[in-house]
Amino acid sequence: MIVQALAFYLFAAVTVAAGVMVVSARNPVHSVLFLILAFFNAAGLFVLMGAEFLAMILVVVYVGAVAVLFLFVVMMLDINYAAMRQGFLQYLPVGALIGLVLVVELALVGFSWVASSPDAPASLAGVPIPPIDEVHNTKAIGQVVYTKFAYLFQMAGLVLLVAMVGAIVLTLRQREGVRRQSISAQVSRTREEAVEIKQVPTRSGV
Amino acid sequence: MISADLMAVLPELFLACAAIGLLMLGVFRGNSATQLVSTLSVVTLIVTFALIALPPRPETVAFGGLLTMDGFGDFMKLLVLIGSGVSIVMAQRYIQREDMNRFEFPVLMLFATLGMMAMISANDLISLYMGLELQSLSLYVVAAFRRDNLRSSEAGLKYFVLGALSSGMLLYGSSMIYGFTGTTNFDGIAQTFAASAGNDIPIGLIVGLVFLCAGLAFKVSAVPFHMWTPDVYEGAPTPVTAFFATAPKIAAMALFIRVLMEPFGGLIDQWQQIVFFVSAASMILGAFAAINQSNIKRLMAYSSIGHIGYALIGLASGTEQGISGIVIYLTIYVFMNLGTFACILCMRQKDRMVEGIDDLKGLSKTQPMMALALAIFMFSMAGIPPLAGFFGKLYIFLAAIEAQLYILAVLGVLTSVVGAFYYLRIIKLMYFDEPAESFDRPIGREMTAVLIITGVFTLLFFVAPGPVVDSAAAAAATLFPG
Amino acid sequence: MDVVIVGLPLAGAIIAGLFGRTIGDRASQIVTCAFMLLAAGLSVAVFFDVAIGGNARTTELFTWINSGDFELSWALRVDTLTAVMLIVVNGVSSMVHVYSVGYMSHDKHRPRFFAYLSLFTFFMLMLVTADNFVQMFFGWEGVGLASYLLIGFWYEKPSACAAAIKAFLVNRVGDIGFALGIMGAFVLFGAVGFDQVFSAVESQKDAQFAFIGIEGHALTIICILLFVGAMGKSAQLGLHTWLPDAMEGPTPVSALIHAATMVTAGVFMLARLSPMFEYAPTALELVTYIGAGTAFFAATVGLTQTDIKRVIAYSTCSQLGYMFFALGVSAYGGAIFHLFTHAFFKALLFLGAGSVIHAMSNEQDMRNMGGIYKLIPATYGLMWIGSLALAGIWPFAGYFSKDLVLEAAYADHSAHGGFAFWLGIAAAFMTAFYSWRLLFMTFHGKPRASKEVMSHVHESPMVMMIPLIVLAVGAVFSGLLGYNYFVGDLRVEFWGEALFVLPENDTIEAAHHVPGWVPWLPFVVAVSGIGLAWLFYVAKPDLPQTFANAVRPLYLFSFNKWYFDELYDALFVRPAMALGRKLWKAGDGAIIDGFGPDGVAESTRNLAQRISALQTGYVYHYAFVMLIGVVGLVTWYFLTQAGV
Repeated sequence: MIVQALAFYLFAAVTVAAGVMVVSARNPVHSVLFLILAFFNAAGLFVLMGAEFLAMILVVVYVGAVAVLFLFVVMMLDINYAAMRQGFLQYLPVGALIGLVLVVELALVGFSWVASSPDAPASLAGVPIPPIDEVHNTKAIGQVVYTKFAYLFQMAGLVLLVAMVGAIVLTLRQREGVRRQSISAQVSRTREEAVEIKQVPTRSGV
Repeated sequence: MISADLMAVLPELFLACAAIGLLMLGVFRGNSATQLVSTLSVVTLIVTFALIALPPRPETVAFGGLLTMDGFGDFMKLLVLIGSGVSIVMAQRYIQREDMNRFEFPVLMLFATLGMMAMISANDLISLYMGLELQSLSLYVVAAFRRDNLRSSEAGLKYFVLGALSSGMLLYGSSMIYGFTGTTNFDGIAQTFAASAGNDIPIGLIVGLVFLCAGLAFKVSAVPFHMWTPDVYEGAPTPVTAFFATAPKIAAMALFIRVLMEPFGGLIDQWQQIVFFVSAASMILGAFAAINQSNIKRLMAYSSIGHIGYALIGLASGTEQGISGIVIYLTIYVFMNLGTFACILCMRQKDRMVEGIDDLKGLSKTQPMMALALAIFMFSMAGIPPLAGFFGKLYIFLAAIEAQLYILAVLGVLTSVVGAFYYLRIIKLMYFDEPAESFDRPIGREMTAVLIITGVFTLLFFVAPGPVVDSAAAAAATLFPG
Repeated sequence: MDVVIVGLPLAGAIIAGLFGRTIGDRASQIVTCAFMLLAAGLSVAVFFDVAIGGNARTTELFTWINSGDFELSWALRVDTLTAVMLIVVNGVSSMVHVYSVGYMSHDKHRPRFFAYLSLFTFFMLMLVTADNFVQMFFGWEGVGLASYLLIGFWYEKPSACAAAIKAFLVNRVGDIGFALGIMGAFVLFGAVGFDQVFSAVESQKDAQFAFIGIEGHALTIICILLFVGAMGKSAQLGLHTWLPDAMEGPTPVSALIHAATMVTAGVFMLARLSPMFEYAPTALELVTYIGAGTAFFAATVGLTQTDIKRVIAYSTCSQLGYMFFALGVSAYGGAIFHLFTHAFFKALLFLGAGSVIHAMSNEQDMRNMGGIYKLIPATYGLMWIGSLALAGIWPFAGYFSKDLVLEAAYADHSAHGGFAFWLGIAAAFMTAFYSWRLLFMTFHGKPRASKEVMSHVHESPMVMMIPLIVLAVGAVFSGLLGYNYFVGDLRVEFWGEALFVLPENDTIEAAHHVPGWVPWLPFVVAVSGIGLAWLFYVAKPDLPQTFANAVRPLYLFSFNKWYFDELYDALFVRPAMALGRKLWKAGDGAIIDGFGPDGVAESTRNLAQRISALQTGYVYHYAFVMLIGVVGLVTWYFLTQAGV
């Protein structure tokens, strides 16, 4: 148990610290790297909860694909980040105050949850159904995602489809003047349109 | 069981399949098929409308409690379909002229509509979120659809960033609610309250509810979550703005109502304060901020904020009468707004869109029929009897008074007076100022049809309010079993 | 069928009004005329079905208002009374439509004119088919609106605009009475449907109203208020001043609205509400006095007017007076009978006058006419028929209805009945006199118009003559044919439930048993009136001037319409203007505007500017506002729900 607790606090602390660094790092490339670190630690937290599938997905999709893509984008874009940070200090006092209030309030909520959990309704126990020691997380997800949550799964698919369509619509451009290979056109060319035979009279050149 | 589920969501299923099919058609035929895809999209919406309106639809819960089908939802879906359909019809000519003639446009509108229908029927926090995201994502894209136009891109981006923030808030609130109730299902949440009746409500749950409401208030663009509205309305292509002003508002409002009335019906004393504040702030801001606008789309943005404020009065009352008042209000709102935007879409000079309010000067002399139509809509929006807008407000205020929300009712009347100022200013410009340059003609057959239908509805609503009022009451009654 | 009758004019109005420019003048005329003729044909069928066949019915269309206990539907109530009105309205309206095709042929705005005419007809039909007070009020206001539009049709003419506004405002005075009456009825009976109200009258007949300390008999108060409404619309003494001015409108309009239909709305309303008035004898007495007064007053004014249309307008006013005192003595059937016959011959006279005006190149002053009977013999003959009917000469229509009305007044054997009878006889004499004065001045004597005008005098085209002939047929036969049904032996079966008379008030029955000299008297005075007119204007043309000089004050009194306009001007218009000016300058401008609108508007503008400044355009500002909102709300709950 103590190992688990230690691991939890380690992962949690690193996640939060990395999150702070994402926002505050001066170099945007560093920000992205801290983001990757945060993802890794979040994956660790999932593993601790027995959600190994989510942990793997997080690493594979977010770290492996999304964050790396971010990294490329950030490195390729030439943005003056210092200029964007102007005004940061100007709003800092108000922002900090609001943030502080929110943090205090959320902390109070957290305490109230802990305090109220013993006599909370039975459904609040938060036990996964079926229990984690009977069915593995991966298998459990597999059991419900196409049955009980088929609707949500399909909706998620539609959301992704729309995201794809949107990305194409907003960025794909048919550029003029670019030569493209058209295989069908090449294959269907006939001799007549490709070759012309000229009778060249002798001694007069072409 | 699955077949029963599928039957229950037949309209949504049809819409989804048709949207995907039209996407394929567009991909294979290229942008030359835009006209065809647009037309077929409208046909799809009409068929979906018929699938909802015609066959008897028993009240059911589908997919293990993820979705609920009831009369309230059906009515709102019909309104959404009207808003979407008319927006696509109005957009056809526009997208051809303004160099955004791409087949994805109607398809994205269809997906957005599907998302709205999913929102309206949501019976679970997760399905709520899925519907919301499907809708929002499509809307972000159509807002930025004129990608070569800086303002359109800016509108899309702003909407996207702020929308993501609001989604985050909504998810955060949902997770808190899940944490305190142990379920995401609306019925389950309601049962939790029933089971723990008399106990104190945990503060965390209320905080979660506040976050959830913030996310939803963003979608209906209620103050203080409205900031995106003017910029996005102004920047987005005009038919998209017309769409934004109608269908998503209806869907989000329906969702707002369902969330607060069904799972959190027991917490009315708590959320009433949120809605009260948001409603009052929206009415005030909508009335005052519109006065200084010179762009008519921006003006309509503030006008829609104000209208949402009025509609929220009905929600704040939390009574069946209040809900039916909202339903009536939204019905009238959809028609008035579509008509107004049809007029705005006709504001073209020398083959170029204009959006300044001053461009309307002397319209009554150059285009009397259009001036008349716009005057009808403006009078109606200002709530001047006997036009439809007056009845919308009337039912809402009556409900507020019944529920003893006198402050909101009085505030509503006062802000209506302020609001009347800018509506009447447009009429004054049209009728009493010397004509500026006249608009291009003809305005197109579909615009004429939209103007006539919405104008007649607005003008003659008082003759037979029966059908709308009765179906609105029936729709609201399904939210109040027993 | 009822729905079709009511709907056709509306459809015509919409088509001609909205699409008139697209489909052109000719198509607009054809559509509206065809629809009206069809509606008129159907009305005849309905008349036979309902009035003769006894199939009274109410068609409910759809719910209009449903608010708490207050439920209201659009419904078409067709009983004998309505069926008669349908014939009158649609019959005259269709004739006027056809006539207008010729009369307005030189006008630029024909589709608009026909749209207005049809719209008017629609509202009039809504009025006569109303099943409840509110729908009746709808029609009532609607005809007022259409009348305003039509009087002011030639809006370039300032006098037409002024007349239109005057008609609207004077009617408004009556409408307030009508509206108050409806509200009173709703307070008393808790319903506005005619059936509910009528069935409750008996039980409420002794109810009292107390208002600001004055207590009165409820039904009497309501009935008098309703009668004030009728006075406005039917141009009764006091509220009559708009009718002569309304002659500024095109002549077909005068024929349709200001002779045959709208002005009779008041008569119709009182007949429709007979179950209420029967229990309010005081109100009925008032109706009699006002009606008789109007009949006499308008006839005296008619004696001296020189504008051909104004003479007929005052004659209309006078004949409406007859109808009202008939109502006042409970002879409802007689009143409606006179309404029915009057519609034919008065429309005929107006359209005939229109034909004369048309022939004389838009000249309306009779002093500039004369000697044209040989040039337009057909019009001349038709005008004779109309005048004979108006004067009540056997066997023309007016003879039957007017005599009956007078007999009923005599048979009432009461002070007000007698008053009405003798004033009515005097008016009948004057009616005959001014009618023939009109005929003689217009058609006989030496031509007083310029040569150029005289050379253009021509008979009107067929499209104008046919309606005249149709109306003339009505003016000749409607009295003879209708007598038995309306007021004769068959009247009980004919009217059915449509009219209600208390047994002791059945003056129509009594009218059939009056002394022998009574039926003869009107005829005798009419003939002597004609004779006097002949003497004045044909035999000795210089006599009128001598006579007028002899009784100069009386002549001027009549010529200036009893100084009503001047009186109103001094009594209401000027003080109101003065008061208005004072309030405007001092009260409104200085006090209210200073502190109220201007001050409020100024601060509104300031606030608006500040709020607009919030919209900076920066995304992070927007996000920040959202966060502040959330935090604010959360904090609010922490503060209010503290201790949880």
